[in-house]
Amino acid sequence: MAGDLIEIVGLVKRYGAVAALDGVSINVRQGEFLALLGPSGCGKTTLLRSIAGFVEPTEGQVRIGGKVINDVPPHERPVNTVFQNYALFPHMTVAENVAFGPRRKGMPKAEIAKKVAEVLAMVGMDGYGERYPRQLSGGQQQRIALARAIVNQPQVLLLDEPLGALDLKLRKRMQVELKRLHGQLGITFIYVTHDQEEALAMADRIAVMNQGKVAQIGTGQDIYRAPNSRYVADFIGEANLIECAVKDGRLALGDAALPYDAAGAGAHATLMIRPEDIQLGAPPSGGTPVVLKATVRDKVFLGSAWRVYAALPSGQEIAAHSASGEAVDYAAKGAAIELWWPRDRGRVLAQ
Amino acid sequence: MRINPWSAVLLLGVPVAFLFIFFIVPFGTVAVASFRMPADGGWSAANYVKIATDGYYWGALYLTFKIALWVTLLVLVVGYPLAYTITYNVRSTLLRRIIYIVIVTPLFTSSIVRAFGWLVLLGRKGMVNDTLVALDFVDKPVQILFTEGGIVIGMAYIMLPFMVLTVASILQNINTSLLEAARDLGAHPIVAFLKVTFPLSLPGVIAGSLIVFTLSVSAYVTPSILSGGKKTVMSMLIYQQYAATLNFPFGATLAVALLVSTLLLIAGYLLVIERHAKG
Repeated sequence: MAGDLIEIVGLVKRYGAVAALDGVSINVRQGEFLALLGPSGCGKTTLLRSIAGFVEPTEGQVRIGGKVINDVPPHERPVNTVFQNYALFPHMTVAENVAFGPRRKGMPKAEIAKKVAEVLAMVGMDGYGERYPRQLSGGQQQRIALARAIVNQPQVLLLDEPLGALDLKLRKRMQVELKRLHGQLGITFIYVTHDQEEALAMADRIAVMNQGKVAQIGTGQDIYRAPNSRYVADFIGEANLIECAVKDGRLALGDAALPYDAAGAGAHATLMIRPEDIQLGAPPSGGTPVVLKATVRDKVFLGSAWRVYAALPSGQEIAAHSASGEAVDYAAKGAAIELWWPRDRGRVLAQ
Repeated sequence: MRINPWSAVLLLGVPVAFLFIFFIVPFGTVAVASFRMPADGGWSAANYVKIATDGYYWGALYLTFKIALWVTLLVLVVGYPLAYTITYNVRSTLLRRIIYIVIVTPLFTSSIVRAFGWLVLLGRKGMVNDTLVALDFVDKPVQILFTEGGIVIGMAYIMLPFMVLTVASILQNINTSLLEAARDLGAHPIVAFLKVTFPLSLPGVIAGSLIVFTLSVSAYVTPSILSGGKKTVMSMLIYQQYAATLNFPFGATLAVALLVSTLLLIAGYLLVIERHAKG
């Protein structure tokens, strides 16, 4: 779409016979927070590095502001990167690290000092300018790496698993701070992560990647509610993937026909249903619930809810995350129960 | 890491004992001998007075350090780019290993043989002069052999592996993401080298130059062959006293003088570096 800040068109990167990127096309809007999500080896870092200029694509184009930048060297690109291991210069103080970018632009000294102080305050590190990176904790180094990048006011900030090395508590706090910073600065963020919760918590849109391709791109809700493949359904959140046959263009589980249209899906299709959408007991009257018979295998009390593992007549196990209620509380191990969910919560995925 | 005290005694004791027997004791003997008079065996500081007051010895000391300094600079100028190229530009591991072997192999050859090799190369009818004349750089063969320049060239060749290996081992340990970060922040490759790679490789440069300098100061074989007797460095003087004149006490005095002045120079060098690093 014209007017997008970044356009990635048919990007391919081959290392010998292996394609790290296999035809990736993504557009990123000005000011957007896009997460590139996928397991290691899916190509997300390679994609980020081709935007930064450290990877030369085999085919395709990277455009920023309508201009093809394939041949622009990294130091002339309007992007800055927060590296995974921070990559702070160990022989420079925090202030010198942050001033590295502005100095390259030949900014006057007084102005640099002012900007460095401003940015350090913005990331909550004012007063640390004279320290060396080795004197800082991991979380503090992370903040300096961030400050060093945003001081240059890039059009795009690239973040390569920036919170990966931090402990869970600090990570959660930094997620909130990063998100706030993104709102404050109005800079476009492209954020690489393998942590789906992190992507859901922070990003405006998520591009789920698999084997060098974009499997699905959309808002967190889109991808969570309406995954387009088994891979995406399984990668984001938890999913029950029920193998079904297709009879007369409709899903069928054993003898029971399910009210899902699966025309064009072939002989088999998968029904995806999230555990928290499944309820136990008799469905309420009205609406169009899908009801299945099952046997309780295991039941785990989680405090606010129960987690029930139940076996379908076919032997397949499905998990339900069900709020306390009479039906759940008294469902003993081995008991025959009924499961139901609103029809529109299930999704048919082609094989 | 905790180790048991007996292991610590053993680990420390063996090298300390070795150093004591083979370095401290002989050096003490030499230092004591330097205060004896060759004529009557009495005690005196006359040997030191002789060195301090005779310009000839100051000249030899000056020449020794001058040659060692030029060798160090030449080795640095040639060795650093070589180490850099091996580390960053040679992608193939096999090729890199071959280059290392080529660099290290000359160390397996006697320095006498290598010095005679340079006699052949640097002579008036040697390959270097033939090439210079053929390429019209000079009209007639130039005198390289038996000059300070000739000694410097021959010694630099011998010292090169020490610099290359020391610098390369430091360069290898510089995280390449630091260079990417510099590029990412707007640094041209040359600026990235000057601001990041080079400062981080300084420990290698300092260690390499110290090794090369001290080895050059004490080198004997190469300067004595390549000088053709026309230039005299301290090691040659010391050898003369011990082997030709048989004036052991004076030879000992020269050796102590060389050691002390070398130590002073190195201490000064390290002091300057430390100041600079802090300032």
